[in-house]
Amino acid sequence: MRRLLGGVTLAGLVAGLVMGFAIAPREATQGNVQRIMYLHVPSVWVAYLAFGVVLVASVVYLMRRAEAADRLAHASAEVGVLFTGLTIATGSIWGKPTWGAWWTWDARLTSVSILFVMYLGYLLLRGMIEDRERGARFAAVLGIVAAFNVPLVHFSVYWWRTLHQPPSLMKPGPGTMPDIIVAALLVNFAAFTLLYVYFVTRRARVLRLEAEAEA
Amino acid sequence: MVWKDLLVERRSKETLNALFFFGLLLLFVFQFALGPDRERLAGTLPGLLWLGFILSGLLALGRTFVVERENDCWEGLLLAPGDKSAIYVGKLAGNLLLMLAIEAILLVLFGFFFNLDLANVLPGLAVVIALGTVALAAVGTLFAAMTAQVRARELLFPVLLLPVEAPVLLATVKATEAVLLGETLGSVAHWLKLLAAADVVYVAVGVLTFDFVLEA
Amino acid sequence: MTAGNWGFVVAAYGLAAVVLIAYWRFLVRREKELQGQGSGVSEPQASVSGHPRSEPASRSPLP
Repeated sequence: MRRLLGGVTLAGLVAGLVMGFAIAPREATQGNVQRIMYLHVPSVWVAYLAFGVVLVASVVYLMRRAEAADRLAHASAEVGVLFTGLTIATGSIWGKPTWGAWWTWDARLTSVSILFVMYLGYLLLRGMIEDRERGARFAAVLGIVAAFNVPLVHFSVYWWRTLHQPPSLMKPGPGTMPDIIVAALLVNFAAFTLLYVYFVTRRARVLRLEAEAEA
Repeated sequence: MVWKDLLVERRSKETLNALFFFGLLLLFVFQFALGPDRERLAGTLPGLLWLGFILSGLLALGRTFVVERENDCWEGLLLAPGDKSAIYVGKLAGNLLLMLAIEAILLVLFGFFFNLDLANVLPGLAVVIALGTVALAAVGTLFAAMTAQVRARELLFPVLLLPVEAPVLLATVKATEAVLLGETLGSVAHWLKLLAAADVVYVAVGVLTFDFVLEA
Repeated sequence: MTAGNWGFVVAAYGLAAVVLIAYWRFLVRREKELQGQGSGVSEPQASVSGHPRSEPASRSPLP
């Protein structure tokens, strides 16, 4: 089952690469740099998905005290931080040729960076509490606070930036993009979602083995 | 709970005195770091003001449960009968009063040192400060309870709190900037709404989850 | 907007590949490690790694 998921994920990623590099055309205004989009935008999606899962799993843990929910929250937060980091890095690399600087306080980059430090704090908290049960409880509370904070971060950063300049990627507007680019993007979305599921199930399994080894 | 805390606070007075001194030091540090150029300081004033509030707030909030911890009353908190959210509301109210007191002092000091005409902008400024402080204190109180029993809590507390408060900081600094420039509150209504939403969300989450933090 | 920009594309994809593969390898290695020291009851995987060391199955758990 796990093999199968891994295989399908790998196939999806390869298909995404083929779509992004071979089939999708060179974008008119940005040129080849636009191809980073097939990596950058699905990464953001996975990050938001992961943090949403953290919220749900945290609530379930506090209600039911199921350790599986706690492990899911932990695994999902870790994978989410990984993809948030990737989003920031690829966004920065994309920014250099488009804006002429590695870093600008663009709305999306800024809000993703805030999420990055927020959930890095979440992982830090988990690492610092030795008592497993208490760590799970505190992390669940923090996971809930952080998730409710996401829309606040989004709006505040949006207004903070838009008073000076429109954010570059806030509204990708699929309507304005050629269908073939949308199709390539969708394939990559699917592949990254599979990758997320694959990583989280494996990570949760490792966490379970760790808990068993300790017990 | 509120009265008990305030009583303890008033009796000792140590926190308030130390925080007042800390605020004064912050002003010196800001001055030394940015130089005596009044023009340049004026532009950064809203940011400096909130930096001062946040830094002193971190110290004040971090001490929320210090009395319980040092006097071995933690067990008492955990075993307290009834609804734990009452403890949260009590601690939050205490923190709120403490922070507002420090902020009032800091504001007067800022007005004095940076030659601000506070009288005209005070009503608007008070609204912004009140909304922002509730947001700071609501999350701060919750996190203080979480980190109270963790090693390296002095480090973990700000590391957890600062990212979460990022939207509050953006909103308050922008709103303060506008108010200091003499604009009406209506022109920053979107920021005030965001702060109000943050206050509601943070306090609600705090009340609902505090039970789980203080579980025996 | 010429060939030079390929460098940025390659850098972005290369970085992503390195990070994702590193994380995947970390997961696989950690899992193998934990299964090695865990009780031999759970599927004793005969020499998947191909290393000529004693596999966990040959170490009998304490009675």
